[in-house]
Amino acid sequence: MTIGSFILKNALRNKRRAALSILSVAVSCALLVTLLTLQRELTIPPESEAASLRVIARNKVSLTQPLPAKQLAILDKIPGIVAVSPFSFFGGNFREETVTSFAQFAVDPARFQGLLVEGKIVEGSYDSFIKNRTSCFVGADTIKRYGLKIGDKMRFTGTFFPVNLDLEIAAVFQGTVDDRGVFFHHKLLDELMGDPGTVGTWYLRVASAEVANDVISRINKAFENTAAEVRAETERAFQMSFIRMLGNVKLLIGSISSVVVFTLLLVTVSTMSMAIRERFRELAVLKALGFRRRDLFGFILAESFGLAAIGAFIGIGGAWAMWTLSDLQKLTNGFLIYFEVTTRIIATGASIAALLGIISAILPSIAVSRMSVVEGLKTLD
Amino acid sequence: MPLPLKYNFRNVRVRWRSTLSTILGIALVVSVFVLLRALARGIETTNSNTGDPRNILVVRKGSQAESGSMVSREQFRTLRYFDEVARNEQGEPVISAELVLIISVPRGTGVGEANTLIRGVTPSGQELRPQVKLVKGRWFRRGKREMIVSERLAGRFTGFEIGGTIKAGLDRLTVVGHFDARSSAFDNEAWMDADEARSIFDRDQYSSILLRPRDQAAADAIIKRIEVDKRLGLRAEHEVDYYSKQTMTAMPFKYLAAILGAAMSIGAVFAAMNTMYASVAARTREVGTLRVLGYSRRSIVFGFLIEGTLLAILGGLLGSILSLAVYAYVVVRKVQFGTMDWQSFAETVFQFRVTPDLMLTGIAFAAIIGLAGSFLPALRAARLPVISALKSL
Repeated sequence: MTIGSFILKNALRNKRRAALSILSVAVSCALLVTLLTLQRELTIPPESEAASLRVIARNKVSLTQPLPAKQLAILDKIPGIVAVSPFSFFGGNFREETVTSFAQFAVDPARFQGLLVEGKIVEGSYDSFIKNRTSCFVGADTIKRYGLKIGDKMRFTGTFFPVNLDLEIAAVFQGTVDDRGVFFHHKLLDELMGDPGTVGTWYLRVASAEVANDVISRINKAFENTAAEVRAETERAFQMSFIRMLGNVKLLIGSISSVVVFTLLLVTVSTMSMAIRERFRELAVLKALGFRRRDLFGFILAESFGLAAIGAFIGIGGAWAMWTLSDLQKLTNGFLIYFEVTTRIIATGASIAALLGIISAILPSIAVSRMSVVEGLKTLD
Repeated sequence: MPLPLKYNFRNVRVRWRSTLSTILGIALVVSVFVLLRALARGIETTNSNTGDPRNILVVRKGSQAESGSMVSREQFRTLRYFDEVARNEQGEPVISAELVLIISVPRGTGVGEANTLIRGVTPSGQELRPQVKLVKGRWFRRGKREMIVSERLAGRFTGFEIGGTIKAGLDRLTVVGHFDARSSAFDNEAWMDADEARSIFDRDQYSSILLRPRDQAAADAIIKRIEVDKRLGLRAEHEVDYYSKQTMTAMPFKYLAAILGAAMSIGAVFAAMNTMYASVAARTREVGTLRVLGYSRRSIVFGFLIEGTLLAILGGLLGSILSLAVYAYVVVRKVQFGTMDWQSFAETVFQFRVTPDLMLTGIAFAAIIGLAGSFLPALRAARLPVISALKSL
């Protein structure tokens, strides 16, 4: 019998316990990986090359304070801006829904085209959207989810605006970070609202990432000390400010994760102690045969490390498979978009499991090394 | 004949090391569950604390919250002369048209900004909300660019101290007082004169109307009247009902508690099973003896089930005490929690609350973990063949 098969035989002699230990490690590892992924998803908003070039300018007072439409003439003159369009959040409810998970925005279709970089038209044509004032431009995910097609009507009840929309689908886009939005003519909104001469925000694209900061400060400066001061920021910074308002997500998930790790430690330590205490007599025999403490520690370590490793493999692999294969965007109504289990997260989970395997071996090993051979031979339990 | 309970109690003590770690594991699961529920409970309590049962809140039909609602001056005038509305000593109707909007204010920590709800109120608005009490400084004056903020918010933002100023476009608002709204939703607000707010923020319309009907019958009548009058396009409901329906903000915490509770309890069940199997294995001879003494298989099963549940309930108790300790720390250190209100996009500050019923839920949750974890080991104990069990060491 080799040492390897000796350790394996020992680990599997109580198959039920081995299975239960592996499973509890697996569940905890899966949970840990999921929490870390959630933390990543919530603290790092989806970022793409094009998103770093897009800038949102809102009223400095707050997001809900409108901006005067006449600012457009000034924005058009600012160098470094490739395209700019009004961008007003409508926040309506689709059909009879009480909570609609996709957003609707009023834009200037001709100008908005210049902002649409990643999006590809998959059905209909953008021209027909520009021409028809009561038409809309819809993301492919929303089309799929509600089983819609070109020419269908979409009815929205306004929650922020005291008006309702009746829009006809003119074109469908795909390939953006979030393929759910609905875009319609700002002119239509102005008409329904009695031409208030305001927009929600300005959405613009800068020429390159290098000039982004300059453009942003130029915009902010252009409206300084006017009745409607502007706060421009990149799309990414804009999204981050929302997430920051959700609260200290990092701290919350971080502390839950550490509790999970600690629970995991308790379970593995107790399992290993149980497994070792059962064989005190055998270990005493090994000692009597001349195996040194170091060898015994090696046996125990290999066993505990092995159990933790198998558990971690099942748990982390399971979590990875589950989150990679399932369509979370659909399940969570669009709340979670990527939920990507990165290599870094996998590595973190694996190293924590490995560390646990080592720590769990230490306590029982101390007990074994302290035991005298005579005492060990006498134990029955 | 059931096994004496004393037998179970003593057994829990025997293998104390593995038992203790199982208890601790369950305690941690329970405390995470209870603490997350406590966050959700804190938000819910804030909302259920808000409003006067006599008041009626009117918003635009179709809008989900005050912040997204619009009420015109004409609509306000119409409602003002409804004879269901109560009148004060001066004969004025007790009705307040208010403007609710958000402004972004720099955080006290110096990093970033957060949205705060500003409410433009009229003198009637103060009269209608007796739970809002001034604790420092003075009330804002009508027609002045002044505001009062809740004491709770004062510490979170720069410029909210008395004498501090907040920039709103070209105008500046000076903070002249701090108020306390007895842990209601108004504790997340800053108040100023309604007409001044309309002029500064360039709003033609109000957001909502709060009114007091003469009596209960008048309340029902006015809700009906507004509902039926299609030209108004408004919706009226009791103020307390409106606030108790604002539950969206607590949802993420509730989901997190449910999902984590479920996932962590699976791990805890495995741990409890391990402990109980070890306990059964170590007591094979004892079980055999009990069977010879005449205890039935059923009483052996019950015995082990009780033991496992007992152990888990101990864990549950410990977990509840642990969450209570966190709660005590939070109360003593006056820690506040903030999250975003999904309806208004404004920051909501709340206190988290560990209540006895949450702790009981936690203990019940632990008991279920214990039952699930000891079921299979108990069956195994009962199925041990008597003779070989007696022979085993």
